[in-house]
Amino acid sequence: MAERDVEVSFKKDTVSKLLSSFFKEDKTKLSGDATLLMAEMLKVFVQEAAVRSQKQAESEDCDQVEIEHFEKILPQLLLDF
Amino acid sequence: MSVDTEETHQRLKAAVHYTVGRLCQKIGEDHRRQFSRQAIAAIAETTFRQCDIFAKDLEAFARHAKRSTVSVDDVKLVARRSTALSIYIQNKSEELTQEHLGLKKKTTGKRKSIETEKSRE
Repeated sequence: MAERDVEVSFKKDTVSKLLSSFFKEDKTKLSGDATLLMAEMLKVFVQEAAVRSQKQAESEDCDQVEIEHFEKILPQLLLDF
Repeated sequence: MSVDTEETHQRLKAAVHYTVGRLCQKIGEDHRRQFSRQAIAAIAETTFRQCDIFAKDLEAFARHAKRSTVSVDDVKLVARRSTALSIYIQNKSEELTQEHLGLKKKTTGKRKSIETEKSRE
């Protein structure tokens, strides 16, 4: 009985509260669709960070992905986003 | 007021950390390489801080368009730096539009069948 992996993603509610907490003005709101798209963006951001860190660990012949690997790919990640 | 914000941020950070952990776990499984707890925490912290940048940009774009509600167009602008990302977000946006249209069609379909039944009576 093969089960499909449940898609991991950011909850719409979390994304909404998260982004709203950083808005400078109280009147700024987030549309429903914009929230869903931002959830996708964040997921892509995390996946990029993770995959790039993983590749860095691989290139250094390490068994585990450590914080140093993430730190090395971080500058380029931020520039790409 | 600042204490409330601090608490909210702590809760949100925890929520982000949880999802980041699960995403890293999946990628770790796919590539047979586990992520250290420190690495996951660092990715989560960076994601949280990146949200600040995204939020400020979104707010600025909406305000520039003289809107107070951040829309899909603003999100597309935030994704402008990478072509691949832009295309991905564009596709997701179209998916959402299709879903909305799909839901509308379903409701219209139901109404039609009810009307047909009534006319038969």
